[in-house]
Amino acid sequence: MIKINNLSKIFRTDLIETHALRQINLQVNEGEFAALTGPSGSGKSTLLNVLGTLESFDQGDYLLDGRSVKGLSDRELSALRNEKIGFIFQGFNLIKDFSLFDNIELPLRYRGFSSTERKRRVEQALETVGLAARRDYHPSQLSGGQQQRVAIARAIAGEPRILLADEPTGNLDSLMARQVMELLEKINQQGCTILMVTHDPDQARRANRHIQIVDGQLNDSSMYEPLAAGA
Amino acid sequence: METLIHNLKLSWHSIQRAPLPYALTLLILSLGLGTFFSNATLYYWMNRDPIPEKSQTLFMARLNSLPGDCTDCFEPPRVISYMDVQKMSGSGITSAEAAMFSSNAYAKTLENQQATPSQVELRVTQRDFFKLFNVPFLQGETWPDNKARMEVVISKNTAIKFFSRTDVVGQDMLLDDKLYKVIGVLDDWSMLPRLYDVNGRRSAEPAEDIYIPLETAYDLAIQSNTQNSFTDVDWDGNMATYPQMARTNFANMLQFWVQLDSPEKVQQYQQFLKNLVQDEKAAGRHPRPEGNKLDNILDIQKAMRATNDQLDAFALVASLFLLVCVVNASHLSLNRYMANQYEFSLRRALGASRWQLQSQIMADVLLSSVLAFAAALVFAQLGLWTINSLLPGTRALASWDWQMLGVMALFVVLVSYLVTLYPALKTSFSPLNQQLKQ
Ligand SMILES: Nc1ncnc2c1ncn2[C@@H]1O[C@H](COP(=O)(O)OP(=O)(O)OP(=O)(O)O)[C@@H](O)[C@H]1O
Ligand SMILES: [Mg+2]
Repeated sequence: MIKINNLSKIFRTDLIETHALRQINLQVNEGEFAALTGPSGSGKSTLLNVLGTLESFDQGDYLLDGRSVKGLSDRELSALRNEKIGFIFQGFNLIKDFSLFDNIELPLRYRGFSSTERKRRVEQALETVGLAARRDYHPSQLSGGQQQRVAIARAIAGEPRILLADEPTGNLDSLMARQVMELLEKINQQGCTILMVTHDPDQARRANRHIQIVDGQLNDSSMYEPLAAGA
Repeated sequence: METLIHNLKLSWHSIQRAPLPYALTLLILSLGLGTFFSNATLYYWMNRDPIPEKSQTLFMARLNSLPGDCTDCFEPPRVISYMDVQKMSGSGITSAEAAMFSSNAYAKTLENQQATPSQVELRVTQRDFFKLFNVPFLQGETWPDNKARMEVVISKNTAIKFFSRTDVVGQDMLLDDKLYKVIGVLDDWSMLPRLYDVNGRRSAEPAEDIYIPLETAYDLAIQSNTQNSFTDVDWDGNMATYPQMARTNFANMLQFWVQLDSPEKVQQYQQFLKNLVQDEKAAGRHPRPEGNKLDNILDIQKAMRATNDQLDAFALVASLFLLVCVVNASHLSLNRYMANQYEFSLRRALGASRWQLQSQIMADVLLSSVLAFAAALVFAQLGLWTINSLLPGTRALASWDWQMLGVMALFVVLVSYLVTLYPALKTSFSPLNQQLKQ
């Protein structure tokens, strides 16, 4: 599903170079639910952004679904983001003056679906996250946990192959965090590969794979941890 | 189509999110555009060809026939004498020719003699005037010849004003208490700019109300209200002798227009004028150097030094003002887009290509254009109103035709796009992750 070889990412500002990712090798297989942990500043978000093609990289290779993303045009990259990848952000990133429906519909529009197809998918996604009754609400009318569920609905409405979640529960209390986790597990069981950044060791344990990153480098021991099939 | 509507809805959303900055941007933009448009309107009317179907064939002829030995007077006067016109007429080369000047009078109808007379603008001219400038008749026709006769042609508006109807051929009118018969009523007609009368920069004024025969005007001592130049005239001021005096002296007040249908005719007429001057010189007249002028109607403002420099200056100022407004509006719009940068990045992250963002931005441009166009038209009207009251001679120029409106609308879209271009590029090319990290 995801394969990266010797991937490096350097942030350059006027004064300093930050080696955010150092020669990373990683393979994520179809159907995995992988948790990515590491200290603050270790490069978790950077890795996720690179995987989500929101960020470019300096060295190495990145193959998504067997296809190198290097040298893809803007249009191809956008299509990739739109069709294969679902992104869940720590800060939800919903558009405030859109209804839930409109928020979830947005990426489907870019894909060029017909309005009936969009409606079907949005309603299905809302059903999955348990917010079908609130389709016309605005994000401000929801709790944080509900907002994150909307963001998840938006991410899965396009039926992506892989879901990238950057601390999806970071802003939520433990009850809501548990609900979101259960939702992600459900989505994973339906066949969607998930890579999730988390600070919570419990969550990391619940995932069927645990990847650690320190100072831009993956912890070797975790990399070759045998995969536990199923939960 | 559905996408366009959706995008327009989004644009509207983003306006509602920050209406004040948007209104300010729009205000600045439409102020600049409005000012520019009001000047462009005047400029357009002043510099257009008012009679494209025959402007190539219309010429104003002048002779340098003034008395007094002056070897470096090469330029003929702006207005010429009755004697000059007599000599230049009847060449057989022109297909139409008419001498003319403007005047005014107080008019009323015979039926309504008690009414206070109202002032009318007169064009004193000859039979071919209407043919020269393609003036359409609604009723009746022009005079049969150039002889004096107490007959007038009146404009449609004049007919309606004095008679409340247009079929008034045969009716009588009083002009300065002299009785005239109406022999023709013109259809709606205007010539903008009115290039047959640029002397005194009057070319932007509306066409005259009433047309009377030249010979009649001379008989009745009706004089030009634009320019009367008397040179070496010995006259006691006795009105009884005016007709004789004005016809035989350098009492210059006429402009003489001819229609020459081909370059050969122009050549011939030039030769005709040349021969005329030679004959005059041989007869001991025409002491000045030959300075015949045969100016095409499209060159006449320049030839008569009647170009409107004030208008040019206004136009320059308005263009600069527009530039300043565009820069300012662009700056404001950049701020607006920067404030919305987060949303643009989010859209990119959700899979919108740059092109799809551009189409959103085009919807912004479209919406802004519509609003800016409406506001700019209002400002342009205000601007025209101001200029018209500062320069009364431009009153007739304050309207728009569809073509102009179309060009202006296009211009607004262009400028709106220009204002959005830099912000749009900046937002769609900025790195994605930073904004989304919160
Ligand atoms: N746009 C950027 N410009 C410069 N440096 C950056 C940029 N983004 C991240 N970095 C640097 O790269 C390193 C990795 O950052 P990253 O955001 O990936 O950390 P993280 O593991 O997600 O941390 P946290 O747990 O706090 O979210 C940090 O040192 C950070 O300062
Ligand atoms: Mg992070």
